[in-house]
Amino acid sequence: MSTTTSRTSEELVQRYLQAVRFWLPKTQRQQDLLAEYGEDLRSQIEAREEELGRPLDQAEVSTILKNCGNPMEVAGRLGPERSLIGPGLFPIYAFVLKMVLLWILVPVFIFIVGPVNLANVEGDWGRAIVNTLGALWSGSFIAAGVVTLVFAILERTQALAGMTCKWDPSRLPPLQKPERKTSFLQTFCELVFNVFGLVWLLLVPHHLWMILGPAATFLEPAPLWHTVYVPIVLLAIANILRPAVILGRPQWTWFPLTTQLVQSTFMLLLLNFMLNAVSQPASGAWYPFLTLADSVKNSPHFIRIAAVVNVSVLISLACTWIGVCIGGVVQTWRLLRLIRKQISIGRQAASQPVR
Amino acid sequence: MTNGTNNGAEVLENLKLELRRGCLIVAVLAQLRTEQYGYTLRKALADDGLTIDEGTLYPLLRRLETQGLLLSQWREEDKRNKRFYRLSPTGEQILEQLLIEWQSINASLGKILQEA
Repeated sequence: MSTTTSRTSEELVQRYLQAVRFWLPKTQRQQDLLAEYGEDLRSQIEAREEELGRPLDQAEVSTILKNCGNPMEVAGRLGPERSLIGPGLFPIYAFVLKMVLLWILVPVFIFIVGPVNLANVEGDWGRAIVNTLGALWSGSFIAAGVVTLVFAILERTQALAGMTCKWDPSRLPPLQKPERKTSFLQTFCELVFNVFGLVWLLLVPHHLWMILGPAATFLEPAPLWHTVYVPIVLLAIANILRPAVILGRPQWTWFPLTTQLVQSTFMLLLLNFMLNAVSQPASGAWYPFLTLADSVKNSPHFIRIAAVVNVSVLISLACTWIGVCIGGVVQTWRLLRLIRKQISIGRQAASQPVR
Repeated sequence: MTNGTNNGAEVLENLKLELRRGCLIVAVLAQLRTEQYGYTLRKALADDGLTIDEGTLYPLLRRLETQGLLLSQWREEDKRNKRFYRLSPTGEQILEQLLIEWQSINASLGKILQEA
């Protein structure tokens, strides 16, 4: 009887250990740790048996195992500390993920994929919205997956370790005024993204699919782009220089806000020019931004697509214009506040007695 | 109100855990001045008022062994294979320094609490 009971309890322990093993890495170290854990369980059972003066039954062994915890939970405690993306990389990961999902993927779907879908289903808004949302849903998962995978690889290979290790306290920027809130990491990421943005912008004229996707086979850029392309590239270059200067001269607290305001002004001028050009159409069909390729020029289906895409671009430009205007007002207000603060600090310093 | 109480209890639990973490290492090292295996070590600590679960103890023992503070070996006892641990010569030195540090912290804390 006693042998049977002890065999039953041993079997239960073995089954429990097997369940824990399932969740543990199959390394020698972990298996060794598990063997030790198993020995602890057996000692606990033995101690209880000694206390009661009889072998434990299955229910009593089960209670001991239950007190130890769920096998997956135990494996979590016994196993090595693991994280897909560690705390060191996580802020950059979160920033990049937000950028990709909110500032790249969503606008691309709203302004490019959505209109193309709408044109493809011949103006059926319901179907177009469902198709676009479906594609956005799967696209978001793929984009998030790719970004996570890249950062997980960076985490494993410690590719960015040098960036965080190679620093010298004496080279740290001078103490900042409290109003400077832009972090080093944020500015660095801004710089990297703007470099990618410029590369993309330079490649777009040669590879139209990079902006139009499948529609590049039948759509072509209108002459307007030949006029505004160089200013746009110059703005993109300024977008790279600005964070670079902020990183190099963090003590220039006036620089980020002032340059942001100057950039917004230029952008506003550019947008005004583009919107004005649209309101003065040349004779014939209205294709201010994108025209149809010669091969499909007379197809009613493609004419409708071109019209929808042109309207979408116009709407997006108008939205950007509104956004830049609001941004400009906010930047002006913040700049004025900064100037007022600087003046008041200067006055305070002047009024303090010299010791 | 209940949320605040729960939050307070959670904060207390976390702080107690943090406080215990460092003390547990000293306690484990001190217990292992005499050779023991996992279960008896855990029992000895519990008998002295420091309960520690298996999932915390065994990884801690491995870490201390990797750091060179403990020596271990698998040995058969009562027809069962058990892993026995004891303090290494480096571990003895480190424990001595840790105890000095512990006493110094304790004395400082005592003074601070008396002043308050």
